[in-house]
Amino acid sequence: METLVSLLTLALIASAIRVTMPILLAALGAVYSERGGVINIGLEGIMIMGTLFGAVGDYVFAQRFPGLVESVPDLAPAAGVLVAILAGVLFALIHAVVTVTFRVDQIISGVALNLLAVGAARFLNILFFEVSTQSPGVSGFTPLNIPILKDIPALEPIATSISPMIPAALLLVLISHWVLLRTRFGLRLRAVGEHPLAADTLGINVIRTRYAGVMISGAFAGMAGAYLAIEQAHLYFEGMTQGRGFIALAAMIFGNWWPLGALGASALFGYFDALSLRVVRLPVPSQFINVLPHIVSILVLAGFVRRAQPPAADGIPYSKEEE
Amino acid sequence: MKWRLFALQFATPLLAILFGVLIASIIVLAIGQNPLDVFGVLIRFGLLRSDSLLSILFKATPLIFAGLAVALSFRAALWNIGVEGQFYIGAFTAAYIGFTLKGLPIFIHLPLTILAAAAGGMAWALIPIVLKLRRGAHEVITTIMMNYIAAALILYLIADVFRDPSQVGTPRVRTPEFPPSARVPSMGPLLELFGLTGPDANKVNWLLPFGLVLCVVFAIVLSRTRFGYEVRAVAFSPLAAEAAGIPNARIQFLMFMLSGAVAGLVGLNDVLGFFGYLDIDFPKGLGFLGISVALLAKNNPLGVILAALLFGFLDRGAQGVQFFARTPKEVIVILQALIILAIVVAYELMTRYVRKQRKREAERPPPAATVAAEAGR
Amino acid sequence: MIVLRGITKRFPGVVANDHIDLEVRRGEIHALVGENGAGKSTLMRILYGLYQPDEGTIEVNGRPVVIDSPRTALALGIGMVHQHFMLIPRFTVAENVILGSEPAGAFGRLQRREAEERVRELCQQYGFALDPAAEVSTLSVGEQQRVEIIKVLYRGAGVLILDEPTAVLVPQEVDELFVNLRRLREQGKTIIFISHMLDEVLEISDRITVLRRGRVVGTVPAAGTTKSQLAEMMVGRPVLLELEHPPVMPGDVRLEARDITVAGRGGKPAVHRVSLAVRAGEIYGIAGVEGNGQTEFVEALVGLRPVISGQILIDGQEVTHATARAVRLLGVANIPEDRHRRGLVLPMAVWENVVLGHHARRQFLNGAFVDRQAVESFADKQVEKFDIRLSSIDVPALALSGGNQQKVIVAREFSFSPKVLIAAQPTRGLDIGATEFVERQLLEARANGMAVLLISANLEEVLSLSDRIGVMYSGELVAEFRRGEATPQELGLYMTGTRRQTAGTGVSPS
Repeated sequence: METLVSLLTLALIASAIRVTMPILLAALGAVYSERGGVINIGLEGIMIMGTLFGAVGDYVFAQRFPGLVESVPDLAPAAGVLVAILAGVLFALIHAVVTVTFRVDQIISGVALNLLAVGAARFLNILFFEVSTQSPGVSGFTPLNIPILKDIPALEPIATSISPMIPAALLLVLISHWVLLRTRFGLRLRAVGEHPLAADTLGINVIRTRYAGVMISGAFAGMAGAYLAIEQAHLYFEGMTQGRGFIALAAMIFGNWWPLGALGASALFGYFDALSLRVVRLPVPSQFINVLPHIVSILVLAGFVRRAQPPAADGIPYSKEEE
Repeated sequence: MKWRLFALQFATPLLAILFGVLIASIIVLAIGQNPLDVFGVLIRFGLLRSDSLLSILFKATPLIFAGLAVALSFRAALWNIGVEGQFYIGAFTAAYIGFTLKGLPIFIHLPLTILAAAAGGMAWALIPIVLKLRRGAHEVITTIMMNYIAAALILYLIADVFRDPSQVGTPRVRTPEFPPSARVPSMGPLLELFGLTGPDANKVNWLLPFGLVLCVVFAIVLSRTRFGYEVRAVAFSPLAAEAAGIPNARIQFLMFMLSGAVAGLVGLNDVLGFFGYLDIDFPKGLGFLGISVALLAKNNPLGVILAALLFGFLDRGAQGVQFFARTPKEVIVILQALIILAIVVAYELMTRYVRKQRKREAERPPPAATVAAEAGR
Repeated sequence: MIVLRGITKRFPGVVANDHIDLEVRRGEIHALVGENGAGKSTLMRILYGLYQPDEGTIEVNGRPVVIDSPRTALALGIGMVHQHFMLIPRFTVAENVILGSEPAGAFGRLQRREAEERVRELCQQYGFALDPAAEVSTLSVGEQQRVEIIKVLYRGAGVLILDEPTAVLVPQEVDELFVNLRRLREQGKTIIFISHMLDEVLEISDRITVLRRGRVVGTVPAAGTTKSQLAEMMVGRPVLLELEHPPVMPGDVRLEARDITVAGRGGKPAVHRVSLAVRAGEIYGIAGVEGNGQTEFVEALVGLRPVISGQILIDGQEVTHATARAVRLLGVANIPEDRHRRGLVLPMAVWENVVLGHHARRQFLNGAFVDRQAVESFADKQVEKFDIRLSSIDVPALALSGGNQQKVIVAREFSFSPKVLIAAQPTRGLDIGATEFVERQLLEARANGMAVLLISANLEEVLSLSDRIGVMYSGELVAEFRRGEATPQELGLYMTGTRRQTAGTGVSPS
C-alpha cells in the first residue's frame, strides 16, 4: 500500500515531467521526419551529438565569455542549446543526404549514423576535454517558480525549480501540431510522406521537403540531447542517452504520428523513467527498474501498433524515374 | 557482363573504403596530425607484425559470428539489431553450463556449452520475432530495447546471483571459472608448427575455423538449396512468396532463430576461448560491429569473413595509432562508421547502375525476320 | 496553340518518342491514340514537364518554351489528369485540390475556408458534383477523377491532358465524363485526350493523332474517320478486332464457390455470399468496377485469404480452408491481378521465377538442393515455347517489359497441366501484341478443357472471351448472363449497383 501511494507522489510526478522532456523532444523530431516519409532510427545518434555539443557549447561559452555569463548566467546554457541544435541539424543532414538523395535504406542509414555518433562523440570529447567519456560540469538555466503556487508547501515539488526548457517544449508541441495540421508547410510535408509522386506532380519539391523534415527532426533531437546534458545531468557523459532516442520512436508510434499523441506517449515513458531514477523504492532489483521504459516500449509496440496509421509512404525512398 | 559485374562487386567496397580513408584523413589533418603518419602506422603496425596478424585473427573471430548473425537476419528482410543483447545472453548461458556442470569429458561438456550459447541467443531473439510476426511490432525497436534489457539482466545475474563467491570482497565481479572441459582449445600448438608463437598465438582458438565453416555452410545453404531459394523469395517479395505457397512467417521465424543462435556464439571467443569465466566487464559492442561487418559484406556469408578481418585489422591498428601516432584511436571508430556510410551509398548506386544495365541488355530485339516482314507491309 | 516539333525521348533500350510533331488547337478535344508503348504517355509527360526531351522544341501560344517541371507546365496553363490518380486518400477534396498552390496567410497558415469555397465555386461553374470537405478515400472512382480535373482547373489550366481517363470508369461514368468534357470545351478549354479505346475517341474528339512505335502516323479529323481506319493506323496492318470464339462443349464442374463470405477491412465482409460454378471448357468472366470484392474473392479461391463461411470446391474436393500450396497442387493456376507484387519476385532471375510455386516439385530438386540444370533447361524450354524475348534466363524479372513479365507468369501457370485457371486482369498494361497473346492463351486453355475464371475491369475483354458473365458489385454477385445476353450498357447498370437480379434468377451452368 505504501508503495502504491508512493507511485503517485507529487515528487514523482515532478520528476516524471522532467524526464519526459528529452523523450518528448526527440519524439517531436521523429514526427516531422516520418510525416515527411523518412524513418529516422538515427535519432539516438543525433541525440548523442546533442548531449555532447550541448555540454561543449555551454562550457566553451562560459570559458570564453566569463564576463557576459557573470551578468547573464543563462547565456551559457542557451549557447549550449543552440550549438546542440546546430549539431543535430548537421548530423541529420547526413541522414537526409544518404536516404533522400542516395535513397539508401533508411534503417541502414540510421543504424550507421548511430555507430558514427558513438565514435564521433568519443573522438570529439577527447579533442575538447582530453578524456574520452565525460565533460566537466556545466551550468543549467535559472529555474523558474510558478508564482502563487510556489508558496503552497504541498505543491512545492511541481511548482518550483522548473527548467525553462519545459514550458518551451510544451509550447513546441502545440506549435508543431498546428504547423502540421494547419499550415502550408505541414500540408506539404504530410503530402510528401503520404504520396510523394502526387506531391511531385503538383510542383512540390519532394526532395527539399523531405530534407526539411529530417533536418527539423535533427534540431529537435539535438535539443533533446542538450536538455539531458544541460538541465538534467549538468554534464556530458558517454551513454547518457540510454536509448531514449529509440524510446522516442516508440512514443511517436504510440502517439500515432501526431505531436499531441507523442506528448501523451512520452509522458507514459517519462513516468516509468522517473521510477527508474528511484525516487521511490520498489521491491525489484535496481537493474530492472532502469530498463522499465524499455520494457514498456516493447509492450506498447506489441499492444498498439496494429491500430497505428503510419504515413503511407513512410520509409519508402522516392525517385522520379523509377516506378 | 558477368565478368564486369564481378569486378564491380569488388571495386565498390574498395572505393567506399578509400572514401572513408579520405574523410578520416581530413579529420586527422584538422586535429593537426599527418594522415600519412597515421595510416602508415595503421598499416605498418597492423599488418607487418606477426603478433598483429594473430591479434587480428583473434579479434576477427567474434566479428565473424556477429556479422554472420546480422547477415542471416538481413537476408530474410528482418532487422536483427539485437545481436548485442542476444550475445550477452548466449555468453551467460554458456558460462552457466560451463561452471555448473563438472566432471564431464570435453567432447560432451564443450558441445553442451556451445549449444547453451546458441540456445541463449535464440531465446532472446524469440520475443522480438514472435511480437513481429504475431503483433506487427517492428523488430528494429524491439530488438534494440531487448539489448538494454539484456544488459541489465546480465549485470544482475553476474553481480547478484552467480558471482564467484571466492571473489566477494575483491573488485572482481565475475562468475566462477569453468573447468578445462568447457573451454575451447587454443590453436597455439598448431600455429607453433608454422613458427607463430607468443601470447597472441595462444589466444587464437578453434572457434575461428568453426566460424569459417559456419560461413561456408550458410553460403551454400542460402545460394544452392530450396530453403535458400525460399528465403530469397520471401525477402524480396513476401506477397509473391505467399502466392507461391511459401510459408513466409515460418521462413522468417527460422532465419531469425538462426540469426539469434549464431549471435549467441559471439561471446564465446572471449569467454570460452580466453578468459574461462564471464566477467562483468566482458567486451561489449560486438553485436553492433556485426551490423557493420554484415553491411560491408552485403550480407554475403563469405564476404562476412573478409569484412570481419578488415575490422579486426582496423581494431588492432587503432592500438598502434594511439600509441605511435599519438592520435586518439577513436579516429578508427569514425573511419569504420564512415566506411559503412560510404559503402551503403556505394552499394545502392551500384545496384541501381547494374539494374539499368540489365534492363538495357535484357530484352533481345525481335528476330530480324519479323522486322523485315513488317517493313515490307 | 501548342506545337511540338521533333520531340525525341530515349530510354535505356528504347526510343519512346522519335521526332514527334504535334499541333493542338485552342478549344478542341484532341485525341492521342496508339497502342500501349506507342509513346503517348511519354509525350504527354514531356509536355507536362515530368520528362525532359532529348531533342525537339515546344511552343505554347507561339512562344518557344522549356518545360522543366510540372510547375512550369502549370504556369503555362497546362494541367494533367493522370491515369493513376495522384490523390492522397487521407486528405480532403479541398486539401487535394489546393496542394502545391495553397492560399495561405501569416506564418503559412492555410486558409481552409477560402479554399473550400473556391473549390465549391469551381464545381458549380463546371457542373461537377463534389463535396470539398469529404475525405478522398470515401469517394467513388468517378468522383476521384472529378477531383483530379478540378485540381487542374483550380490552377487555371487552359489545356487539360487526360491520360486514359476512361480506363477505370464504367460506361455510365464515361458518359458523364464526356458531358463534363464537352462543357469544358464550351467554356473554352483545350483537351488532350489519350486513349486506345477507338469508339470513345471517335465519339468525343474533334481531331485524332495516331502514334505508333514512338512516331506520328498521322492526324485526322474524327468526323468521317472509321474505327477500322484508325485501328489500321495504330497497328500498322489490318487487325481482327474480335478473336474467334468457337463453341466448346462444357464438361464437369471444376471450380465451385458455394455461398462464400470473405472478410474485408474493418470487419465488413469484402465478399458476401457469392456462389458460382465453372465447368471444364468454359470461361466465366467476372465484370465489375475494381474494389467491389473481386480481389478478395480471387484470394479466397486460391487460398490466400480466409473464408468466413461457405465452401470452395475444386473438382468436387473441398478446399475451403486449404493453403495456397495445397490449392496450387490440386491444379489451380493463378495469373494474379498485381503481377509485380504477387506474380513475380522481381529481383530474382527469370529461371527462378518460371518455377516459383512449383520449385519444390521433385523434378527440380536434388535432395535439399535446387537442381539448377533441371530448372534452367525447363526455363529454356518455356522461353522458347511462349516466345519470351530476353537475352538470357539469368536476367532479373524486373528488367523485362510488362508483356514479357506476363509471359513468364503465363508460361509458369500453364506448365503443370492445371485444371482450373484463375486469371485476374491478365491483360492490364500490356500492349496490343501481348494482350492478343494472353487472350489467345485463355481461349486455348478453354479449348483444352480448363475451367477458366476471368476477372477483368475491361468490359470489352470480358464480353469477347466469356461463355458466361457474372457481375460483382459491393462484394456480391448481382447478376449472371450467358454469352451475348447483355450489352455493355446493361452490364454497366449492374456494375454501378443501379440494378440487380433478384436472387435465384442467375443462369445455372448449362
